[in-house]
Amino acid sequence: MRYVIVGTGAAGATAARTIKRMDRDGEVVIIGDERFFPYNRYLLTEFLSGAVSAAELFHTSEEFFEAMDIRLRKGQAVERVYPNDKTIRFAHNEVMSYDRLLIATGRSPSLGPVLRPYAKLIQRYYTFEDILLIQKRLPEVREVIVSGRGLSALDLIQGMYRVGKKITYITRGQAIDVSTVESHLMGDLDSALAEREINFVHDDRIVAIECVDNRYLVKTFQGKELWGDLVFAWDNYTPNVGCLRNTGIEVKTGILVDLRMRSSAPEVYAAGDCVEIYHPTLKNYWINFGWPNAVEQGRIAGKNMAGDNEEYQIHETTLFNILGKPLEARWWD
Amino acid sequence: MKPPSSTSLASPSKPAGGTKAKRRDISVRFCGIAGDGVVTCGRILAGACASLGLDLMVNDIFSAEIRGKGKSTTTVRFSSRIVHSMGDGVEVLVGLAGKESIEEIKDVRPGGCVIYGSSIPGDLPEDDSLAAHVPPNIHGFGVPLRKLANQATGSNQGKNIVAMGALCYLYSLPQEAFIEQLRKNFGRKSSRALEVNIKAFTLGFEYCKEHYPLSFELEVLDTLEPRPLYTGNDALAHGALDWGLKFFAGYPITPATKIMEICAKELPKNGGWTIQVEDEIAAISNVMGAFFAGKRAMTSTAGPGLSLMSEMIGLAVMAEIPAVIVDVQRGGPATGMPTKVEQGDLNIALYGGAGDCPRVVMAPSTVRECYTGIQLALDLAEKYQTPVIFLSDLFLGQRMVTTSIPKRVERDRCTRKKPFPGELGTYERFKITEDGVSPLLIPGEEGGFYTITGLEHTPSGNPNFESNVHSMMTEKRYRKMKAMCVDLPPADVLGDKDALIGIVTWGSTLGSVVEGMELAREQGVKSKVLKSIMINPQHEDSFREFFASSARIIVPEVNYEGQYAALLKSRYGIQPVEMHISAVDPVSPAKIANRIIEVQDELTH
Repeated sequence: MRYVIVGTGAAGATAARTIKRMDRDGEVVIIGDERFFPYNRYLLTEFLSGAVSAAELFHTSEEFFEAMDIRLRKGQAVERVYPNDKTIRFAHNEVMSYDRLLIATGRSPSLGPVLRPYAKLIQRYYTFEDILLIQKRLPEVREVIVSGRGLSALDLIQGMYRVGKKITYITRGQAIDVSTVESHLMGDLDSALAEREINFVHDDRIVAIECVDNRYLVKTFQGKELWGDLVFAWDNYTPNVGCLRNTGIEVKTGILVDLRMRSSAPEVYAAGDCVEIYHPTLKNYWINFGWPNAVEQGRIAGKNMAGDNEEYQIHETTLFNILGKPLEARWWD
Repeated sequence: MKPPSSTSLASPSKPAGGTKAKRRDISVRFCGIAGDGVVTCGRILAGACASLGLDLMVNDIFSAEIRGKGKSTTTVRFSSRIVHSMGDGVEVLVGLAGKESIEEIKDVRPGGCVIYGSSIPGDLPEDDSLAAHVPPNIHGFGVPLRKLANQATGSNQGKNIVAMGALCYLYSLPQEAFIEQLRKNFGRKSSRALEVNIKAFTLGFEYCKEHYPLSFELEVLDTLEPRPLYTGNDALAHGALDWGLKFFAGYPITPATKIMEICAKELPKNGGWTIQVEDEIAAISNVMGAFFAGKRAMTSTAGPGLSLMSEMIGLAVMAEIPAVIVDVQRGGPATGMPTKVEQGDLNIALYGGAGDCPRVVMAPSTVRECYTGIQLALDLAEKYQTPVIFLSDLFLGQRMVTTSIPKRVERDRCTRKKPFPGELGTYERFKITEDGVSPLLIPGEEGGFYTITGLEHTPSGNPNFESNVHSMMTEKRYRKMKAMCVDLPPADVLGDKDALIGIVTWGSTLGSVVEGMELAREQGVKSKVLKSIMINPQHEDSFREFFASSARIIVPEVNYEGQYAALLKSRYGIQPVEMHISAVDPVSPAKIANRIIEVQDELTH
């Protein structure tokens, strides 16, 4: 039996481990488009600020995959799934067959039509490679501009604050835009940020970015002109489902799966931030972002791929710690 | 004590890929099939690195088959430190031919990377996919080589230059150094060729900048000066030419042909001749004729050619005619492995031929020594009227290195012993002398008639088969070997002079030995090596002194039976630790280091 897992994040790595524990003789191949060993994405900020080491960030290693007899193919993108042939095609045109397939491709920050033309001027803040690039640039950076929604923005602000950068945060609302945080905590959060002299630009958004002499001039909808040495901006996070488009597998925003993490195609499972999971109470699909959710979904998917029959229990609350304030969120954004 | 493995020499396999530390030493291997432009890649990268003042070494391994068949690799090792050898493994593999490159992945060090083509048309089976074989401790970078080459050149040609652009970005190398090399390579062909190649390079560079923005960094010191590049064959040919070579005769044979090509191009400019003859027997015969007539002459060949020359070498010994024979050794016996290295011709060089047949055998260890050594070979042949066999090898002859070649040439340091005018009446061509060297006239000089023959002869050159004459003349011929010691360079001791582990090696193996010694030293084990270009005769006292100061002797060499070790055992009565290294690939410094450490462990336990 060949199990192929596309995605090396929390869901994919957990599923690989789970399958191998249940089916020692099964061949497990896990494929990721990042060129590093799987790591905890949610510790990147701590890694950047030096609060955690590389050893803590990386939850897997060469030795782990060797010991588990799991074949890791990193730095390789899967372009398309062919559920009828039970094959996948890589971006480099290699075709690989599978018996059971797990899609655990996660999600990515995305830019809307206004920001998209400026993509090359915007520094991404999502992968380990992004963090290494930022680390390289940090000595020349004094001021940063952040524009983005959700706890990710808070996380980034925290990281930049810890490395001593002056921060301007552009938000569309009156306060920090974290709709998932319990409302009674928002005041605490605002005051925590204000104490740290973070420059808030309220009720505004970026409409243009220019690079002038290695600095960035950000123009806002309200007509402000702001200068920074790095610009971080995103509009949304969207599930990575490109390899499933027009394959017949049901996809809305994310891949639609049932509580056993099965997609609409036989032998194709999906888990983690790329899925919309069926919520039996709501009788609708539900996006359940976040590391703990992804780990749990990966575990359930792995078990079911290896022959078990377990259902996922939806968890609605996750705890976060931002700038010393404990926060609760129903999910990570 | 833990011996270093080949992998322990590499950057540690850090999850981050070791991207923070600047690399000081990188080896890049280009792999393709004939026609993929693998050698061009090597030359461009080498040229760019040399222009940046980096030390480097280039090794080509190619098939003996015609275009379109077989695999070729070019490996370039460059560093801000001295490069002694090709080292162990490579940092980067550039797979211009994906399927053929798969078996090269085993040589990529952990933390290194593989650049592979990602725009191969059609379905690529898993077994044929280079990407599928990249292990997780190596970074894989897919680059649409074919697609970008097409975009630049309108054909599938130019994948190699696209890959070069990718490499340039991924290792943060200065673009301008590469563009300059492209100008040198393609500028003289046509402006269109230059334009499309620069475009191909730029597309590869920009692709990686966009898709793999996090590049590795190489330490390039601003203070370094551009370095000249030579192969051993280049240096050898130019050394001979600078020394007054006037005649070259040869028959083309891999890997020695380049020497003949250079001589064919350069000799006529200086009033000399190059003649391509029908076979190697004719080649050495021509060389002996030219030397006999007073012209410095040389031939070059490989093992099979040296076999054919054996009989004429005997004649040169018996008739005391100078000759210089360069043997760029390759894998044998017979046709053997024309494009692979082996140090297997030592025995035929030392002993090939009939009878007691003393001859000079030399083996340069470095490209620089190819230049200086061939000049000494020409001198010794001339002065001592003897054949000199100069044993280069494929690795030394074809590898390209940054090195300095001495510009000062003293052409008159060695002259032919001639009879004084008053002696012509009683001139004996083979006169018995203290040093064994008889005055030698250029044939045709008035009053200096003499005969020479391959038969045993009296001092006057008349055939004679009496026992006492044969003994006397044989002794005379051997006496020259002793007498020439005054003209031989002393053997050098490299490494820790007080070390108890001594290494004696020969030829191109020296570089790997020196690097292996450095690796062993990093593990706390000291050693030293005796470097001598002379195989026969040798400064025996310096060898005996070296052996006396060493508790154990290691003799590494690239042949099956330990030919040099056998010579040393019989000549000096030592019992060395022999390392018979298999042919084909350059010697692994890690293996040398392991052996040194093992010998140290044996000494201490």
